[in-house]
Amino acid sequence: MKTILVADDEEPIRKLLEGELTDEGYRVVLAANAREALKIVETQPIDLVVLDIRMPGMDGLEALPRILGLKEGIPVILHTAYSQYQESFMSWAADAYIIKSADFTELKDKIKELLHEK
Amino acid sequence: MLESLKGLTTIIMAGGKGERLDPLTRDKAKPSITFGGIYRIIDFTLSNCINSGIRRLYVLTQYGGFSLDQHLRQAWDIVHPDLGEYIYSMPPQQIMVSRWYRGTADSIYQNLNLLEKERPRQVLILSGDHVYKMNYLEMLEFHRSRNADMTVAAVMVPREEAGSFGILKVNAASEVENFLEKPPEPPGLPDNPDFSLASMGVYIFKAEVLVEEVIKDAKKKTGKHDFGADIIPQMVGRKRVFAFNFQDAAGAPRYWRDIGLLDAYFRAHYDLLGEPPVFDLFDKGWPIRGRPQLCPPSKYIYSGKAIIVEDSLIASGCIIEGTVRESVLSPRVRVGPGARVDAAILWDGVEIGAGAQVQRAIIEDGVKVPPGFAIGQDRELDARRFPVTPEGVVVVPNNVVLEDMQ
Repeated sequence: MKTILVADDEEPIRKLLEGELTDEGYRVVLAANAREALKIVETQPIDLVVLDIRMPGMDGLEALPRILGLKEGIPVILHTAYSQYQESFMSWAADAYIIKSADFTELKDKIKELLHEK
Repeated sequence: MLESLKGLTTIIMAGGKGERLDPLTRDKAKPSITFGGIYRIIDFTLSNCINSGIRRLYVLTQYGGFSLDQHLRQAWDIVHPDLGEYIYSMPPQQIMVSRWYRGTADSIYQNLNLLEKERPRQVLILSGDHVYKMNYLEMLEFHRSRNADMTVAAVMVPREEAGSFGILKVNAASEVENFLEKPPEPPGLPDNPDFSLASMGVYIFKAEVLVEEVIKDAKKKTGKHDFGADIIPQMVGRKRVFAFNFQDAAGAPRYWRDIGLLDAYFRAHYDLLGEPPVFDLFDKGWPIRGRPQLCPPSKYIYSGKAIIVEDSLIASGCIIEGTVRESVLSPRVRVGPGARVDAAILWDGVEIGAGAQVQRAIIEDGVKVPPGFAIGQDRELDARRFPVTPEGVVVVPNNVVLEDMQ
């Protein structure tokens, strides 16, 4: 079973994603901020990261290269309500940039693609 | 600022360990090694920048970074931050990732935040360990005129010598078709088959392409994360990669030397000597800035025996009472009465005792050669005491005491 780390500071979104992705057959690990996410990537086997950008303390764009530095080649999906970060060079290191929506089809499809399940 | 320089970010890579220049690099970065008496190797690239009108520079340091930082402060405190100019030395920030620079491409990846802040249109990437005079604006113009994603500066070398370089295979339109690291069968130029194009380690990128490519490279688990070995091959065929031939108006290759080996370091000094020299430090049209040192004028002391100084560069503050031929002397060198210095590079404050003989040698700063001592006369004896290069140049590092060897 593949393990997905969801890092998002908003609890309702974490819970929602946990349900959706568990239904898809993944094990889901949750982090409420970037530092927690880094600790999890460092210590647990994670196959893919769904990473929010705007989080207090350290944001997703700061965490992204650190995640890649801790675990080379791990797929990361930036998952944000905002489109403007697509312009940032820092976001280009992610495998995908997905705007949050009530419909998780795009996110699920991208996860499948990146985990070579498609 | 020149209109053509708007949107250009310039980065000098100066972090390499320079192991092949050991022992000269054992305590400092390769670009901060003394060269030509009063210069450090990086001064040539820095002077090129200033002469090209580029006054905003990042110098990426790593190994022996203090020596470079010190040099930049002492010799290159010449730009005006209030006018938006800067020369910053940048060790690995460890902000993005907690590691050293794995290679030249990784050093750019680790500084993406800097490019994000500057948002340049083009990025000029230079090396701090080459000796040449180049107007980077000509290359920038070429880069723009070809709408290139990446332009690699390259110099023609005879095909039979090309096997020791990184060689670019180009088509008639100067588009790069392949990059070959030290190829046994170097490809010739389409219009000049006796010559091959060697990469000079000078690159201009469209900023966004650079970012994409270094990110792609950073995700690779293998490779050297190097521009020559990884980025060029990764881009060739997919992107518009062009070679800028560094040649004069008559189509002859212009002067460029990579100071990668002790013998190359030694030979490049010969290019400074003779009349006219191959590489002219007295060129008023392209001044090279060195480290300013206030010392008294050099003096030559006659005490009954003729003092001979031939085909040499003598920095200020030297005191010469012997013979100096085909040599380069840094400031405050002393050559005692009756001493002979032939084909030697003497760094700051070296003292050659009375009657001592020095031939084909590089002597580090502060070394005191005792009276009557001989260096470069007996190869076997030299090899027991000092590093000797394949071409027979004796290197005397300043962590030895020569008195003990007599």
